[in-house]
Amino acid sequence: MKLSTRYEQTSCRLVLEGLPDLSAGHGSDSLGIVTGFTMALAGRQELEGKREHLEALMAVVLPYARHLLSGQARAFGAADQPVAIAPLQGMHQLELRSSQPDTPPLQLQLDDAELADLVRCLDQLRLDPRVAVPFVVPEPQPLRRREQRRRRPRRETLAAPLAGVLALVIAAALTALIPPTPRSGPGATATTKAAVRPAAPPR
Amino acid sequence: MVAMAGKITAMSDAPPAQTPRSGRPLSRRGIERLDLMLLCAEALDLNGGEAMVWLSEELGMTDVLPNRVELWKRRCSNPLRRATRRSALQPAEADALIRILTALSERLYPMLRSLLSSAEPPAITAQRWALFRSRLEELLRERFNLRRGAVQRLLDPEEGPQLCRELIQAMALSSGPGGFERLRASLLDAAR
Repeated sequence: MKLSTRYEQTSCRLVLEGLPDLSAGHGSDSLGIVTGFTMALAGRQELEGKREHLEALMAVVLPYARHLLSGQARAFGAADQPVAIAPLQGMHQLELRSSQPDTPPLQLQLDDAELADLVRCLDQLRLDPRVAVPFVVPEPQPLRRREQRRRRPRRETLAAPLAGVLALVIAAALTALIPPTPRSGPGATATTKAAVRPAAPPR
Repeated sequence: MVAMAGKITAMSDAPPAQTPRSGRPLSRRGIERLDLMLLCAEALDLNGGEAMVWLSEELGMTDVLPNRVELWKRRCSNPLRRATRRSALQPAEADALIRILTALSERLYPMLRSLLSSAEPPAITAQRWALFRSRLEELLRERFNLRRGAVQRLLDPEEGPQLCRELIQAMALSSGPGGFERLRASLLDAAR
């Protein structure tokens, strides 16, 4: 029995088609074998693919969205992969490469809203309890320091602490210039006392 | 108000919230971003503050955030606030706030989308952004320490619009079923 699940957002529609995997003990209404999928993005031609294409799409779009969430837009998808995505002039360029020889790759420019729609559709699909296909998608992880591009120039970041250290050095130097007050020892006390002793009145 | 209550009731049909995993606490920057996105939700929805309290109940977070005062106190862990609290935000509390934010983002997704879309007429988009920014600025001036550089950058007429767009984009990418894990990972990024 052929099964079909559908995920829609304003500018994106994903339809997953497949069969129940009865040998794996899944129910008859659970999609366990993917036979194909279609993706329709508003204003573009409908695209078709197999499970490996869907997995390749998830493998680049979801990490891309993860990095974008941290303000670190960067390209995903190597030259030998069927799908790639990269930031391009404030948009997101999705490149779909055909396995057929001499077929040029299809490039789609998505704006932020269209990308969010696509991400939501992919999330709905992979987390749908009716779909029992184990899609291999890495769990979102925190970015390490070296994965993050510095947003502010180092000079600007270091300006405040350097100004603080400089102010401390100047204050210390100025304090060192103040002549020390003479320390009052036992001899000094006697001298002082003698000095302040009132002179004998003139006779 | 009735419509909003209806929407929130409808959200209770969603799968129950997973038990927040115990993990490492959010960095200072993570707390700042989380609270700023919650503030953006308030700027987008005038009843956003009330919606947070309702969502906390609907999502079963009352053991972590039992009332609006506790919710407010957790949000005041943000060092950019005028009345900031020194106590650290516990991982379970941070997870509860992230869940509330993702639920709010889901609810506000049509508005987030309309702000981000390039298909809308530019004049209308500019008008929406101006309204959002004016509300956000009002909230920032009311609650945040205006001497902090991060707050000044948000209020800056040149730098502010791009920073606001990044916050709205982050909210849009945090909505939906996979949004919680994605946003949580982002807020746990290593400090730069």
